[in-house]
Amino acid sequence: MKLRQKLFLAVGLFIACATLAEAHAFLDYADPEVGGTVKGSPSVVKIWFTRKIAGASSKIEVFDAKGAEVDRKDAQVDTSDKHLMSVSVPKLPAGNYKVVWNAVCLDSHHTTGTFTFEVAN
Amino acid sequence: MGCAITILITPSLVRAHGFEGDRFFPPTIQTDDPFATDELSVGFQSFNNPAGSDGTPKTREIDVSSEFDKEIFPKFALGVSGTYINLDPQGHQGPAQDGFDNVEISTKYQLWEDAPHEWILSLGCLADLGDTGSKALGVDSFTTYTPTVYFGKGFGDLPDGLKYLKPFALTGTIGVSIPDQSANFDGSLNSDALQWGFALEYSMLYLQQHVEDIDLPKPLGDVIPLVEFSMNTPFDRSGETTTGTINPGFLWEQPDFQIGAEAVIPINAHTGPNIGAVFQVQFFIDDLFPKVFGHPLFFGGDK
Repeated sequence: MKLRQKLFLAVGLFIACATLAEAHAFLDYADPEVGGTVKGSPSVVKIWFTRKIAGASSKIEVFDAKGAEVDRKDAQVDTSDKHLMSVSVPKLPAGNYKVVWNAVCLDSHHTTGTFTFEVAN
Repeated sequence: MGCAITILITPSLVRAHGFEGDRFFPPTIQTDDPFATDELSVGFQSFNNPAGSDGTPKTREIDVSSEFDKEIFPKFALGVSGTYINLDPQGHQGPAQDGFDNVEISTKYQLWEDAPHEWILSLGCLADLGDTGSKALGVDSFTTYTPTVYFGKGFGDLPDGLKYLKPFALTGTIGVSIPDQSANFDGSLNSDALQWGFALEYSMLYLQQHVEDIDLPKPLGDVIPLVEFSMNTPFDRSGETTTGTINPGFLWEQPDFQIGAEAVIPINAHTGPNIGAVFQVQFFIDDLFPKVFGHPLFFGGDK
């Protein structure tokens, strides 16, 4: 077997073993959108992640412009789609809100992040 | 040994990659990033060397390099790297030479971090071990130590009025290379030198994930354009001038790996006559093999 073939084989085996992994999760997209403006209050803040999330230690918190937590503290991972985590919020008045998320993957690697959105009348 | 390592890994929450607050600092190609984490990279570089004042011909150089870093204690990592070099003299001035360059080992410790302001400062030392490479390439027979300061700063703490500047980040290194032998047998001098460099990057991921989702299509949304500056300034004995390269390019981030490509532009004729190129694949081994990597070997815990 030539050196080039051996190298391709080694890389192929490496990637094949690796695709079984489920580690760091990053925000894929969110509703309300990152940095976006929504007309009227959302009832739920949803985040889709790039990896499956473990429910036990993962959470989403929503804060108003004064830094007070306004979510209902019921963050949960969707049972049918473990890439999706959500938290419900009461009717939010117009203003800017900050979302703080903490995602723990099935292999216990965790990532955190923040973004803001605006509620307009 | 493998069993012992497995047992020492703790099941607590772990973070590897290079995170500071919301910021993911990608591993850069020409300048080392400030994080003491598990990393595995494979690089390919091609460029021209100028003719030497000692009569050595202009050569075309191709390097295939690899580096492996492992976090031993929390925030402290050891690394080893090697490079296979092919030197092809231009103008039929002799046969091509190839072989391994000297082995380099490294240590790094994350000294200070400020996650809300995306700051990190690390200290480390590189050792290029003399006479561990191929003699046919004329590798250094002496060992060179380079104590180095590493830093990283993300600009996510800028005011919201400047929100489109928040994806910018700057990383850099400043070190002094000190050969353990000031002169060679042929009378030539080995200079101490300032090794300095920095990378300015604009993260589309940061823009999309933390500032504003502008619906960038893939793969554009996974790209980090950057420009790196890698410099060497001798400051005694040899009387040589600063050499270095400016390296504009991009990094493409995927969940398990990163692909990077940069042009290598010499800053002056002493550095080289032509533009080269570098291509690198960085494997995020903490994601690829999360049960084995992404944890300090000893005293693992939440970082």
